[in-house]
Amino acid sequence: MTAENWKDKGKFYSIANKEIFVIDEGNSTQTIVILHGYPTTSYDYYRILPILSKHYRVIIHDHIGFGFSDKPDSLTYSLIEQADFALQLWNQLKLKEVSILAHDYGTAVAKEILSRKNHNLIPIKINKIFLCNSSMRLEHLHLRYMDKLLKDRKLGKFVARLTSYSYKKIKQKIKNNLNPQTHDNYDINKVWNELESTDGKKEIHLLSSFINERYTFWHRWTNALKNAEIPIKIFWEKSDPVGIKEIAIVMASESQNENIEWIENSRHYSLVENPTNWLELVFNFNKSRPS
Amino acid sequence: MTSKEWKSQGLMIPIFDKKIFTIDAGDSKDCLVILHGYATSSFDYYKVLPELSKHYRVIIHDLIGFGLSDKLENQYFTIMDQVEYTLELWKIMGLEKVTILAHDYGDAIAKEIISRKNAGFINLDIKKLILFNVTVPINFNEFVDIQNILTNDVSKKMSAMMASIAIFKKNIKEMFFDKTKITDEELTEMWYLFECNNGRDTINFISNYISERKIFWFKWNKALEESKLKIHLIWGKQDPLATENIAESLSEVLTNNKVCWIENSGHFPMLETPKEWTDCIIIE
Repeated sequence: MTAENWKDKGKFYSIANKEIFVIDEGNSTQTIVILHGYPTTSYDYYRILPILSKHYRVIIHDHIGFGFSDKPDSLTYSLIEQADFALQLWNQLKLKEVSILAHDYGTAVAKEILSRKNHNLIPIKINKIFLCNSSMRLEHLHLRYMDKLLKDRKLGKFVARLTSYSYKKIKQKIKNNLNPQTHDNYDINKVWNELESTDGKKEIHLLSSFINERYTFWHRWTNALKNAEIPIKIFWEKSDPVGIKEIAIVMASESQNENIEWIENSRHYSLVENPTNWLELVFNFNKSRPS
Repeated sequence: MTSKEWKSQGLMIPIFDKKIFTIDAGDSKDCLVILHGYATSSFDYYKVLPELSKHYRVIIHDLIGFGLSDKLENQYFTIMDQVEYTLELWKIMGLEKVTILAHDYGDAIAKEIISRKNAGFINLDIKKLILFNVTVPINFNEFVDIQNILTNDVSKKMSAMMASIAIFKKNIKEMFFDKTKITDEELTEMWYLFECNNGRDTINFISNYISERKIFWFKWNKALEESKLKIHLIWGKQDPLATENIAESLSEVLTNNKVCWIENSGHFPMLETPKEWTDCIIIE
């Protein structure tokens, strides 16, 4: 599957005058909406889409600023705005009942949506939330120097353009996050092409401002989890270089909500490397019907 | 008017896990909801309430963390949370159509509400938006300049001002054009309302509130610019914090607006020149 093929599979929706790229597959009455991670795109899910779409109607959009979606200048790309776009899209698609699957960056968007749900502001029924590799605890997150520079609003712009936080960096970053033994020269080229399309490079420093937001909204989002009345499954990995185990341990001790279930991904199944195993782990398709 | 008397005029309304002190006066069908400013409370409006409530049903609540509403320890209550508790309060009170009036910090809450209205997330009908003496200009370059002053100066000042009753009084007084228009008794009541239930903890998070303003700079100004609402600006001209320029630049950018200037008045025109301020609202 090339990025171009992927693009042909999807459709564009106009949300608040911006074009959002959306994949919508499967005829099940159960719907799952997917919030992808950082700094990748909906393309992450191409390997699991054929299986997942047998069980669900699967809706994945590229967050604004990512992939084939618009990358406007006049946007701060905050996680809150990502939630606004997602909710407007789901309203436009007239979704009534969904489950949400989210990866790292997407988990923050999911938590913002959960806050609003807890506050009676979302008419869509949410059946279940799956959070994968959620890096919540910033005290435990040691930002690399380049990430710190990128997060600086004024400097980041120049850093992104002048230095090569480019193909090489992204490749390294993705490589570091993958298991080196099983990793082949996978689709990094394609990921990079998407990032480059529609001026992606220009925006990467803005997209990094979410790191600040995690501090500002720390209490709001932890409270959202604590007060959730929706079943939530959190998947974590001991060796995840971004969301290391402390994150999970601290979070587990903090939330006493019985709706939250913790599942350790002890075999390091990943979307890209072991799509079928990963799907089994998250959805248990063989053991039970998805709910 | 003492804070005790003020308290007896209102109700404590439970919203989710918090209790919100709410004033609900007047029986007009026309509803005016008021969002007060940072570090003060609904008490700011005690002088204008009798006259306003002849023309409107007036609803003022103490934002969470301020006045007589619940306060939080070691927790930052974001503007997003304020918005959601406010919307739930208005829903519970059965409000369907409102005029929103916002001062200072309250403008952020108003802008987020407008933003959600524009996105189609809320059903509340908004008749008009009135902003007065809000501290954020519309021009981003101006904002960046002010930003440094804000983070260094205002936050320092705010923290200092909360440190003791004397500094609190002095700083509130500085916001007035005519310093004799605010009495020591009033300042003592304002301090009490701020300080009760560990209110001083709230101030530790002022830098968060400033960073929220930064994050949502574009979002909120875009919301105002895209909104088709009537926007009415009321401005105490001698405000050292929310200067005249802010009103002028707002008025240039917003399409459907008008400005009502109040001479010889500072950051709290509803306390300093209550008659003129009320006239600006009533006379359309």
